[in-house]
Amino acid sequence: MELDVLDRDYMCSGHVGCPGCGAAIAMRFLLKALGEKTMMVIPACCWSIIAGPHPQSTLKVPVLHTAFETGGAVASGIRAALDAKGDTETTVVTWAGDGGTFDIGFQALSGAVERNEDFIYVCYDNEAYMNTGVQRSSSTPYGAWTTTTPGQEWKRLRKKNIVEALVAHRIPYAATASIAFPEDLVRKVKKAKGIKGSRFLHIYASCPTGWRIPSEMAIKIARMAVQTNIFPLYEVENGVRYTINYMPKGYLVREYFKLQGRFKHLTDNDLEQIQEMVNEDWELLLRKAGVSMSAAGTVA
Amino acid sequence: MTEQMLSPIVPTPLIPRSFTTTESNKTGSWRFLKPRYDEKTAPCSAACPAGEDIARVEMLVAQGLFKEAWETILQENPFPAVCGRVCFHPCEGVCNRKEFDDAIAIHTLERFVADTAMRYGIQPDIARRPVQGPRVAVVGSGPSGLAAAYFLARLGYTCDVFEAKSEPGGILRWGIPLYRLPVNVLEWEIGRIRSLGVEIHCNHRVSSDFLRDAGDRYQAVFIGCGHHRNVDLGIPGENLDGVEEGLPFLERVRAGERPDLSGAVAIIGGGNTAVDVSRCALRLGAKPVIVYRRRRQDMPAFEHEIEMALEEGVELMELWAPLEIAPHADGYRLVLQKMEVAAEEGPRAQVRPVPGETREMVVSKVLKAIGNAAEEAWMEPPEGDGKLLRLANTALVRRDDGPVLVYGGDLAALEKSVAHAVASGKEAAMALDTYFQDGWDAIESKVSACRVGQGPSLSMEMYLGGERCRRNPHVVAFQEINTDYFLFSPRLAQPRLLKEERIQGFSEIDLKISAALALREAERCFNCGICNQCDNCRLFCPDLAVCRDDNPQGRRINYDYCKGCGVCVVECPRNAMALEQD
Repeated sequence: MELDVLDRDYMCSGHVGCPGCGAAIAMRFLLKALGEKTMMVIPACCWSIIAGPHPQSTLKVPVLHTAFETGGAVASGIRAALDAKGDTETTVVTWAGDGGTFDIGFQALSGAVERNEDFIYVCYDNEAYMNTGVQRSSSTPYGAWTTTTPGQEWKRLRKKNIVEALVAHRIPYAATASIAFPEDLVRKVKKAKGIKGSRFLHIYASCPTGWRIPSEMAIKIARMAVQTNIFPLYEVENGVRYTINYMPKGYLVREYFKLQGRFKHLTDNDLEQIQEMVNEDWELLLRKAGVSMSAAGTVA
Repeated sequence: MTEQMLSPIVPTPLIPRSFTTTESNKTGSWRFLKPRYDEKTAPCSAACPAGEDIARVEMLVAQGLFKEAWETILQENPFPAVCGRVCFHPCEGVCNRKEFDDAIAIHTLERFVADTAMRYGIQPDIARRPVQGPRVAVVGSGPSGLAAAYFLARLGYTCDVFEAKSEPGGILRWGIPLYRLPVNVLEWEIGRIRSLGVEIHCNHRVSSDFLRDAGDRYQAVFIGCGHHRNVDLGIPGENLDGVEEGLPFLERVRAGERPDLSGAVAIIGGGNTAVDVSRCALRLGAKPVIVYRRRRQDMPAFEHEIEMALEEGVELMELWAPLEIAPHADGYRLVLQKMEVAAEEGPRAQVRPVPGETREMVVSKVLKAIGNAAEEAWMEPPEGDGKLLRLANTALVRRDDGPVLVYGGDLAALEKSVAHAVASGKEAAMALDTYFQDGWDAIESKVSACRVGQGPSLSMEMYLGGERCRRNPHVVAFQEINTDYFLFSPRLAQPRLLKEERIQGFSEIDLKISAALALREAERCFNCGICNQCDNCRLFCPDLAVCRDDNPQGRRINYDYCKGCGVCVVECPRNAMALEQD
């Protein structure tokens, strides 16, 4: 089964992402779908480093590196400047990590999408502040070890559901995507490109360094997150129309957890509890999408 | 100066701007593990007695390259249209897809590509060596003899085939009923062997004198005259008038005779001949009963053939051995002894009589099919001769006073099957070529270097130094397949005549499949161990270090940038890559 993904890349070798970097793979797919008429805003995140030290850039599109909390605001400004120049062809994209989206950049993002600014905001989610040394963020999942939730102090709070927060703004388009499903990811980026107004993409990008996984498992684990319903693939139009893109095959979350060093302290009880939480979230999503539980083959 | 005047005035940027790429960072220096392309061996190809490159054949079918798929089979087997009909397909039994949902219908696809070539009259493009000096005589034009002639002709040797009967083909022509193998299919396959310059001399029975005198004209003789002598039952009445042998009966039917049978007909034996005889008898109006001294699971006949025979209405009596055949007003009285299982050792159970338990049955005819042996002593490989070299499916004898003798086919093969006969012919061709080129002592090592996986199957493509030599002999296991890239999909069901239609005559039972079905079935194949150009390695590389290339692989890894993360190796659906210490 050959995957049908565009051939041209807008990214170079020699970037300084870690071996097996999911965020690097996510960027490749994003730019394949957007093409060269793209301007990118990168607030502080792993990609501030991956893109290369001055005077290098690993991307073949213009990038504006900017401060942590400003992803939404800077993109709004660039869009306004392009509009003033009469350039309606270029797509403005903010490319931020989970820290710059869920936590530090949330105010600017919420403000921009409330005004329905015309740009695409992409959060590549590696579930902690990886660039600065694996500190927990509000995207870090329940159960995870980080350097700020060490040992038995592992994170006992749920991951913020960022897509639902954006959906609550009633933006034209919000979707999740995964590096393990390139055809789905590219389709969603192209779809977002064709829509006017604020668009939000939440891309799951595994981090071998921070998750304590072998680098060769980067895609496999991202795929398992989808197969286990931990990270469902779905899209929401105009804040109301839900479409689920992948129906699970009944994998258990423990399969996903047991492969990762950041979860190795979890007991069977913890895993059962997490399975219940994942089931609950999935059932909630099914209700929003109007899909019956039996049709979706939910894990009992 | 002029240049400076012409250049536009560039304002100093308010913020620093990058102007070069990251390509000067050779991130390959970070690497401590190294991925590489490493094609391996598919279990089906190792299980195929003829060593066909099945994973590649299915890949080509899925790509719509039917001619190339057919030629890939012809590299290893001159009879794809025959084997696509009559082979017992051990390949399907070891298919990794079986662990996932259901094995690939390899047998049906083999027939499909061959039939497609036949329908369009396609000529294969297969390399041949220029003509070499030595000449080889082949005794018998059955599957082993014709395969030996085919491979020897491709290697550049002049072959003369001697056949005692009026037409070539041996067991394929005279022993396999038309409902399994139509004669035009056989003619087409043999025609292609003839077109290589192989001379087939029919009505030319060879005697032991031939071996003595052959040295004048031939440097080697391949003896593949099969097992045609009937084995006696050793019971009273077995030579009564009308008690017939199985193979001659099949031969009569195949030649067009339609003996009028009715009532119960007993067939004694449990091999493929017994099953074929029973099914022919059924079509001629009889109520056939197979009498076998062991149980159904012990029968040497292929399971699917037994199943079809029973479906058509053949009756099977297990654990009954004949004691006596006597004349009777309505035909023959058959006395049978009840048997019981004494031990379950080996492939077939040991049985012994149950004292005092016998029965009698009256039948209109008795057909014996308990096995066959070589017709004359000279056809058997000599025992204990110092100059005898036994390979998996052949035995070679070097003589001081005559040409080298190669015993093949049923006379020396591991099993009596068409696929083993082909394997035997191929092994003989490799052994003789090595003997002529490099001498007797080189034979064993050179032949064993062409093993598919752990053997004993051999590959002619490997013998000729083709791409297949680069395959790792490691046989891919199911756990090594990345099944995330495959969806459950049902196996193709071989379309067949209904049983009511079958027993009306001798029409071929298995029906053709459409190209659409063939493509769908071939796409189910995991292509274990071989690259089908899916491009996952290039697509998922975080470092853009996998590049397109015009080498046979189609791509290469740029080790200047490859950080050795190994994503390409894990995301290869079919284990055609390896990750190792750099």
